Amino acid sequence: MSAVVESRRHDADARSLEVMVALVRRSLLRVRRMPSAFIPSLIMPVFQLVAFSGAFGAAVRLLGIDPMNWYMPLNAIQGASFGALGVSFGLLNDMETGFFDRVLMAPARRSVIVFGSYAAAIARSVVPVTFVILVSFLGGLHTPGGPVAIAMVIVASVMVALSACGLALGLTFRMRNMGAATLTQFAIFFGIFLSTSQVPLSEMSGWLRACARVNPMTNILRFARQGFLGDITWAQTWGGLVAMVALLFVSTVFALTGLRRYDR
Amino acid sequence: MTSSPIVARELVRHFGTGDNIVKAVDGVDLEVRTGEIFGLLGPNGAGKSTIVRMLTTLLKPTAGSAHVAGFDVVKEADKVRRSIGVALQDAAIDPLMTGRELLNLQAVLYGLSKSAGRDRGDELLERVGLTAAAERRVGTYSGGMRRRLDLALSLVHEPTVLFLDEPTTGLDPMSRLTLWEEVRRLNQSGTTVLLTTQYLEEADQLADRIAIVDHGRIVRAGVPRDLKARVGSPTLFVSVDQSHVESARSTLSRFGELRPSAEGTLGVGLARGAEDVAAVVRAFDEAGIKVRHLELNEPSLDDVFAEATGHRLEGAQ
Amino acid sequence: MSIATAITHSAQLTKRSVRGRLRQPAALAPAFIFPLFFAALGSASFNRLAQDPYFSENIASSFLNYAVAGAVVQGVLFGATSAAGDLATDIEQGFFERLLASPISRVSIVLGRLAASMVVGVTQVVVFMSLFVVFGARVKSGPVGVIGLIVSGALLGLAMAGLMAAIAIKSGSPEVVQGSFPLVFVLLFLSSAFFPRHYMTGWYRTVADWNPMSHIVEGMQGFMNHELAVDQFVKAWLIPLAVSIVGIAFALRSLNKRLAAS
Repeated sequence: MSAVVESRRHDADARSLEVMVALVRRSLLRVRRMPSAFIPSLIMPVFQLVAFSGAFGAAVRLLGIDPMNWYMPLNAIQGASFGALGVSFGLLNDMETGFFDRVLMAPARRSVIVFGSYAAAIARSVVPVTFVILVSFLGGLHTPGGPVAIAMVIVASVMVALSACGLALGLTFRMRNMGAATLTQFAIFFGIFLSTSQVPLSEMSGWLRACARVNPMTNILRFARQGFLGDITWAQTWGGLVAMVALLFVSTVFALTGLRRYDR
Repeated sequence: MTSSPIVARELVRHFGTGDNIVKAVDGVDLEVRTGEIFGLLGPNGAGKSTIVRMLTTLLKPTAGSAHVAGFDVVKEADKVRRSIGVALQDAAIDPLMTGRELLNLQAVLYGLSKSAGRDRGDELLERVGLTAAAERRVGTYSGGMRRRLDLALSLVHEPTVLFLDEPTTGLDPMSRLTLWEEVRRLNQSGTTVLLTTQYLEEADQLADRIAIVDHGRIVRAGVPRDLKARVGSPTLFVSVDQSHVESARSTLSRFGELRPSAEGTLGVGLARGAEDVAAVVRAFDEAGIKVRHLELNEPSLDDVFAEATGHRLEGAQ
Repeated sequence: MSIATAITHSAQLTKRSVRGRLRQPAALAPAFIFPLFFAALGSASFNRLAQDPYFSENIASSFLNYAVAGAVVQGVLFGATSAAGDLATDIEQGFFERLLASPISRVSIVLGRLAASMVVGVTQVVVFMSLFVVFGARVKSGPVGVIGLIVSGALLGLAMAGLMAAIAIKSGSPEVVQGSFPLVFVLLFLSSAFFPRHYMTGWYRTVADWNPMSHIVEGMQGFMNHELAVDQFVKAWLIPLAVSIVGIAFALRSLNKRLAAS
């Protein structure tokens, strides 16, 4: 066996990190060279922020809540998730062109594919979130909870984006077609709208309240919104933390088992 | 464990379940020796690519076993991956990246340090004649350039065994020759090569030994020269008017066994060789059969293929 | 060519288009599912608003009753956009050329498509209305109002299909048609389709005031929530009709340009 092969035997973990960095760089390079595929994920959440707060704003204004403050965390989370979905589109494209085989044939850890995608998803989702936050400040956002409120929105957005990415990867490994991305979009869509997306739980009637009450997204939104509606308290925080960690755990397991099933 | 770099025993791969089961590979035994170029020859859908995908750890066998570079392709997949280079069908490369970016990525995937990767990349670009195009996006490359880049990518980690899945399909004759030369050079420097092809000429010219694959099985294997010699007699192809086909067939059968041929022609293996041609012409004359075209072919791999499978590869695509 | 043949051809092509739509339920489903979902979501979320005195006196008796018109409009718009996508696909794949090469009148080719959108539009109104009535919605203007709603659904389908067909014929690319889809959303959100204009503020309100979609929807909301009145017909019939004329004119002009170019 050649010297090159021998020298690679060591430091497998350091290598996994290098491979991850390389995969993220490739993902971002694709965004840079084909921005037309990325721009919609930047514009959509901002449009929705404007549209939701402009059209439905009166409903929360009646409750004494500022519409911009109410909707910004929602649209940040939504924008982050759809931004992260780009990673699964890229994966599907790689499967179609055969590029994915090249990655599979490399003697790197398999899990690098999932965690490298996660890293790329973070990079892709932070951009729309930042954009949403900036526009919301222009639209009159104020932060009674201080700068921590902004940090919490970013944390929630990234966590939900990663869960969406895990779900999309798991489905893509299993289905190997566009249906995976469509299903994930549906999951995000219904996950978000069947929660406290428009009005607080107390305002909802019947079936919607029943859905929103058990929907983990309700906890996550409470977590992300609190610093914009008032003080940040542990009571409003822990439920969201649990929901985010649980979602991420389940979707990561789903992605990893999907990869194992693909790998045969 | 054997010393041969590629060994497959009773390799089987099925796709689908129940009534829709497709036996893509149906019991393949294969042994490729150190330092040889081995060709898998067969038509589209014969199972060549499936065999390669199993040997390169991309697909798990339904049954049977295979060792590559001395490692089990299922149990020691990671070690196999370290030892092999693979250029897959359709040159799977990202059109948005440049040649150098792809080489750098490949180097990272195989654990080369940054500087080692850069040096190796320069060397390989030079070697496959892509130095000038290194900073261009792969989307702008010609088919031949893509294949050469694909070859360079598969060599980044100096593999001892190289798999090339239809390396020249779709290439123009010039690019094909360039690629052949590069494969030969690699082989001379000690790399064992397994390639698949649907081109008779490629198998004949490039491979030390070949295996003919049809319907998921290996139907003949050996050195091309020996295989051709075993078919023995040359083949006479005759085309006649549609109305005379039946009488021509019976006339021809007096001179040897009929062999598969392309639509509209008849083929016969002349038992006594070329000297029978005159007799055939006379026999046609006596029977009043008008011959439109007559061609005598020395045994070729196509004859080997035809004898083994009952159909011809040439003209089948 | 006689007018009778043109009508027969149009009818045949209408049938083909309608059949084409029905054969891809996955493409048609969003035009039914999303409007219904949004209406359900709205009526479960905004009940407090419906108790606002202004709302209950001037707008609707419940948010569901308010949301019906918006859902119908949304469905018709989605349907017409995806139908235009079919047309662009036809152009891209060459079926359109074959039609043009046949002795079918050019106008029939376009009208067949548009008529199909009207048929789908009417279907949507009927399906949506029936569902909403089951869930408690009522048409306050009575049977004439129901007819008013159905006709306005057809006219709106025609208007949107005409505009989208113009884009499809001009571009010949399904991607461009799909790409104009977000515009449909903008048109809907910046109108009173999902939420009453009365409660909007600032520039958003100004845009909604000027958006013709607001007035079409309000005409249809009038049929749902008020006694029969002339202005309902003006808004819900005449505006889409005017847009249809403009849209069809554009579509035919694009067709002529395409013919001249080829």
